[in-house]
Amino acid sequence: MFLNLSITDPINNFVTWLVSHYGEFFHGITLFLLHYFLIPLELALRWIPPWAVLIALGLLGFHATKRFLPTFLFVACAYLIGCFGLWDKLMLTLALMMVSTFLCVLIGIPLGILTSKSNRLRSIVLPVLDVMQTMPGFVYLIPVLMLFNLGKVPAIFATIIYALPPLIRLTDLGIRQVDADTKEAAAAFGTSPWQMLIGVELPLARPSIMAGINQTIMMALAMVVVASMIGARGLGEDVLEGINTLNVGKGSQAGIAVVILAIIIDRISQAYGMEARQRRLLNGKR
Amino acid sequence: MKKTAVKIMLAAGLLASATLVGTQAQQNSPSKYCAAGNTVKFAGISWESGQFITEVLRNILEKGYGCKTEVIIGSTTVTETALINGDLHVWAEEWEGFNDIVIKGVKDGKAKLVGKILQGGTVEGWFVPRYLVEGDSARGIKALAPDLKSVSDLAKYKDLFKDDENPNMSRLLGCVSGWVCDKTNDGKLTAYKLNSMYQQFRPGSQAALDASVASAFQQGKPILFYYWAPTSLLGKYDVIQLKEPKYNAKCYELEKANDPKACASATPSATLRINLNADFAKSDAALTRFFGKTSFSLNQLQKAILRISEDKISASDAAMDFLKNQKATWSKWVPAGVAQKLEASMMK
Repeated sequence: MFLNLSITDPINNFVTWLVSHYGEFFHGITLFLLHYFLIPLELALRWIPPWAVLIALGLLGFHATKRFLPTFLFVACAYLIGCFGLWDKLMLTLALMMVSTFLCVLIGIPLGILTSKSNRLRSIVLPVLDVMQTMPGFVYLIPVLMLFNLGKVPAIFATIIYALPPLIRLTDLGIRQVDADTKEAAAAFGTSPWQMLIGVELPLARPSIMAGINQTIMMALAMVVVASMIGARGLGEDVLEGINTLNVGKGSQAGIAVVILAIIIDRISQAYGMEARQRRLLNGKR
Repeated sequence: MKKTAVKIMLAAGLLASATLVGTQAQQNSPSKYCAAGNTVKFAGISWESGQFITEVLRNILEKGYGCKTEVIIGSTTVTETALINGDLHVWAEEWEGFNDIVIKGVKDGKAKLVGKILQGGTVEGWFVPRYLVEGDSARGIKALAPDLKSVSDLAKYKDLFKDDENPNMSRLLGCVSGWVCDKTNDGKLTAYKLNSMYQQFRPGSQAALDASVASAFQQGKPILFYYWAPTSLLGKYDVIQLKEPKYNAKCYELEKANDPKACASATPSATLRINLNADFAKSDAALTRFFGKTSFSLNQLQKAILRISEDKISASDAAMDFLKNQKATWSKWVPAGVAQKLEASMMK
């Protein structure tokens, strides 16, 4: 009943060809990312004394939430990770997550703006996002690894592939949902498209975009264990080692550290998103 | 109406006779466990030699002993734990002394290792591509490390293996986190006085290790990596194993613990055995005797592995090939009656 079709060999041959002809080029990208982004950031994060990081976290937490109890809990939980002896690995994971998120924002928000302006682009981008979100990770991890060499860089690419879609989707949605009357009013004052975007659409879409960034960060953290399966160091390493040696305790301890990191970042970034919403409400009342 | 009734009766009759045949074959089985109608459960192994051995054993059990068998897949940790708990019965390629779960299981009397399935044992160590030492004029690769023969030469060539993520150090592509070789490699770097220049890079998974080795070979780049045989990867790529100082039991123990005072020693050849659930082994002397006699040559295993990985045939087909062509080997493992039955089934 079925035709005998197989795309196995063409894909295998393509990957082999890519690796043997363009390996050098991709290795260059790896070195660029490592030497200009990751390694300096890692060095800095590991050089700053833990107490300074804790104080900074406290200040940031208070600035975001404007409440004492959550701020105290953030600092206490981060301190707990240090007590587990995982501080160094926490910093490595944080560095990886920050670089991935930065690149996601750099790619995701402009792309989200473009898709919100063009229905045709949107109809092309959406299926690609579906593939990125559902394709099993290891399918693209192995070729990415062969191109970018084992370690942190393929981990960043894998994280971007997995964590980018929600940011594009939510940026697109946020801009499309900006009130048509508001835009008309702005247009009546003769705003240029650029002014419209910067002054009207982006500020009004901010809660949605912040939610997108929040989701991107959460998904980046979910990739920590997968990243360690291709040689990225950090908290995932301990989870993996725990799994491989049936050391449930060790795995759980590192797992809890990932969860704590995720919750702290989630609460802080949500607080910033919320603030915008509340501010808009206040403006509305006035 | 009548017709359907006849049909049902016919079907029932067929079913009954089928089960009768089934139970007869099982009742005649020299294995007590299978005669009682039980299924022998094998752990699914992820690497080719393990799959091949599993399929050979299963075919002999099914066709020679009249057993029912089943393969349950899972990660090593999961299946080894299941075997110790009695949910699985056979783990076909066990590296003796490598898995803490099994070591503890054997000590507690819950698992039993039988047989020596690989004549001569395994090979384990550090490897470099042959083109790195001898060059490859066909591919236009120059010999970058013509004098690299043993681990003591690594200091001289450390610039070849630079670690991108830590440019002051060189990279030994090492062992998957949590495996025994993880600590041993670190211990060896100390013992060979290389730890100020080289650091072990843990690939995180075997898939990642294999992919990086493949990538280096495809690009003709230098790479220094930990590996072992029997495996398809070493069958596929032309490598040179770096010579290491002679095996010394005391030094090796220190290396394995990554002791800072470790002294130099190569990894001893490991014994491959079959791991049986202890209760299962106790309940069935006939099958345990068969498992204990199973033994392959390195050549037989490497050949089967290459057929699976390169010719892309299934492990089950590779096992049938072996059973058809290597009667001299397997007939020594089983009683004459079982061998006859197995042979008769393959004639069909």
